[in-house]
Amino acid sequence: MSSETTAGAGANSSAGFEPKIVAFVCNWCTYLGADLAGTNRLEYPANVRIIRLPCTGRIDFNLVVKAFEVGADAVLVSGCHPGDCHYTAGNFHARRRWKLFRELLDTVGIDTNRIYFSWISAAEGAKFQSLVTEIVEKTRAMGPYQDYRSLVAES
Amino acid sequence: METELRNAIRKLLEEKTVDVAIGYGRVGVGGAVGAVFVTSPDEVDQLVWNNECRQNLAVHLTRPEIKALGKIAIVVKACDARAVVVLANESQIKREEIVVVGVVCEGVVKARFDGSNGEQFFEKCASCVEHAPKNVDVLIGDEAKAAELDAKNAPTAATSGNQAKLAKLRAMTSEERFQYWRGEFSRCVRCYACRQSCPLCYCNRCVADKNRPTRIETSASMKGVFAWNLLRAFHLAGRCVSCGSCAAACPAGIELDLLNLTLVNAAKEHFNYVAGEPGVPPLIGTYSLDDEEDFIR
Amino acid sequence: MSQIITLEQLKHTLKEKLASGARVVAPVLDGDMATFKPITNVEKASFEPRACMQNSIKEFFFPKHETLFSFVRQGNDVLLTDAADFDVEQIVVGARPCDAAALPILDPLFAWDYQDRFYQERRAKTTVVTFACNKSDAHCFCSAVGGAPDNTSGSDAILFDLGDGSFEVRAVTDKGTALFAGKTSESDKTGAACEPPKADFDVNSIAAWIRENFSSPLWEKVSLRCVGCGACAFVCPTCHCFDMVDEGSYNKGKRVRNWDSCQEAMFTLHASGHNPRGTQGKRQRQRLAHKFVIYPDKFKSFLCTGCGSCSRSCGQMFGVRPCLEALDKQGVKAQQ
Repeated sequence: MSSETTAGAGANSSAGFEPKIVAFVCNWCTYLGADLAGTNRLEYPANVRIIRLPCTGRIDFNLVVKAFEVGADAVLVSGCHPGDCHYTAGNFHARRRWKLFRELLDTVGIDTNRIYFSWISAAEGAKFQSLVTEIVEKTRAMGPYQDYRSLVAES
Repeated sequence: METELRNAIRKLLEEKTVDVAIGYGRVGVGGAVGAVFVTSPDEVDQLVWNNECRQNLAVHLTRPEIKALGKIAIVVKACDARAVVVLANESQIKREEIVVVGVVCEGVVKARFDGSNGEQFFEKCASCVEHAPKNVDVLIGDEAKAAELDAKNAPTAATSGNQAKLAKLRAMTSEERFQYWRGEFSRCVRCYACRQSCPLCYCNRCVADKNRPTRIETSASMKGVFAWNLLRAFHLAGRCVSCGSCAAACPAGIELDLLNLTLVNAAKEHFNYVAGEPGVPPLIGTYSLDDEEDFIR
Repeated sequence: MSQIITLEQLKHTLKEKLASGARVVAPVLDGDMATFKPITNVEKASFEPRACMQNSIKEFFFPKHETLFSFVRQGNDVLLTDAADFDVEQIVVGARPCDAAALPILDPLFAWDYQDRFYQERRAKTTVVTFACNKSDAHCFCSAVGGAPDNTSGSDAILFDLGDGSFEVRAVTDKGTALFAGKTSESDKTGAACEPPKADFDVNSIAAWIRENFSSPLWEKVSLRCVGCGACAFVCPTCHCFDMVDEGSYNKGKRVRNWDSCQEAMFTLHASGHNPRGTQGKRQRQRLAHKFVIYPDKFKSFLCTGCGSCSRSCGQMFGVRPCLEALDKQGVKAQQ
């Protein structure tokens, strides 16, 4: 396995598999949404690793690839609702970029069912909770992202 | 047509409209066709025009070695002409300072793997509906013939050539596609021939060459080659003109243009965007309030 | 009397090697493209001499990507672990004579001021079985740099296709003898390679010209169409430049070496921003001078086997042969 991959024992079998989810979130909305979920004691699975970035417009597509390289089983990209961007239009730029990037990933055969996009505002703690729970459950059902893991293992 | 082309270039050089003309000549092994840089009217007989004129010469427009030669005239096919437009749209060249000599192209043949001429035309030519280059300063060749060829290809343009190859690929399962590319990319050596041959990969320092910090690993390991090929293709989203230079240059014979074609199709389908139209703002870098967001929760 | 082996017997020999745990590398066809790959099924391999290969056998001695050691932080210490030894037997079959000839050229380089155990281990454990060429193409120029279609330099055994489903085997080294021991039968048939390819330039005169013409404007002129893609270096059996990088994170990772090419501008870019080889002409001059002046001065052989892979894979129809021809015509012969 790659030096970066820290998949625990049992990660290669679905039994006892704990998915690793990387969430790239914007500083102004989704991060605060996640924070609100916390302060409201809305429990969500600890499988998600939150990475806070200034804006969805900043989220380079390489980061999604990178997340899979270091062992993510699913990725969430989330930011402000359209019109709410702190920088006015970062999320509009991101939306267009992701629409195209998903097509490329699809052609290359990277599982787009493991990549989620959402708009979660600072007031939507409950949405963050339910979406993360759903992603974790679905990923658990899908099992580890074996394709990418084997690719990394070969590197 | 060859005579007409030579005369046009001779005139440009004689009248000192340009200092150098970038065209095609028999320069390679066994007379293989590659770029020639003609700087004097006496040398125009080096220029050739035939179906072996594969390279997209627009790649030379942004190279410092070529810019140092002075004012440029360039010979283009229709797909190459679109690359010139994108370069101008992206402020990489001053369009008014370059003389673009377009030649009606009836398709170019692929080189075989051993470098010799094949009989087979490039896949891009099978679905070409633009045989006469647009946005050129001088047009050489028969426009009526070009229109005829356009009309001939039009009904099957969306289903032939590379489109057929891509459709076949997209019909596989995601898992099968992954395995397909895994096999293809396993031959990738990270030489960057795809990047260097692309007229639109003009960055002075490619993101793949940035090492403080490293954006993507430079290794030709499996994860390195996936990261690189995704990066290269996506940086051409909304910009690629499907000239096929990347795939033609790949020493490992990887059909990289299929990745680009995915994005060309997506740009058309979702944003009604075609790269290479003069004055049109870039696809990525602009946005519309009405962009699709069916995939966003 | 000669020793011959049938194709079936050759396959059988390789099957036995595979079964014994050896790694077998052979040309695998994909359309008109032939790639050297490790195989697990000998039926997938192609046993036909060919002038054009997608890759050279270099990568089975000096891989495109190789881990040198890995590191992990443990408290205030860093724990280093060397890469594992290369401890399998390797058989490379179907090499072109010009591919194999690159190995003795590279040997002194990897055993010079630094003993490169990664290369040396692979070299020691590998048997190279070459097919003598039965045809050459316009890119070939082995005869101009001391090679030949039946050159045995670097080969452990050379096979001549007899055209009847059998090959004449000529063992060159003990490793070659051992591989085919008991597998061949005696025959009165002998194989022959094709005629040497023609080249109407003299490499020594060109090398002398290169030595005297470092600042010639011809370098820029002949290299104008080169876009610096580096494909030539990556397919070349003798090009051996590499870049060493650390991959991973602060806490753990590995040091790897990857192929590199002097044709890329980044190759010589200084941290100050200065680039001593700032144009493609200078980079092409470096490539040619290294192959025909610098390397011979140091290691007594041209760093080129005349295989023609560079010009075959060049999208701009350049490469060593076109460059030599241009220098010969516009430099050497223009002076005379």
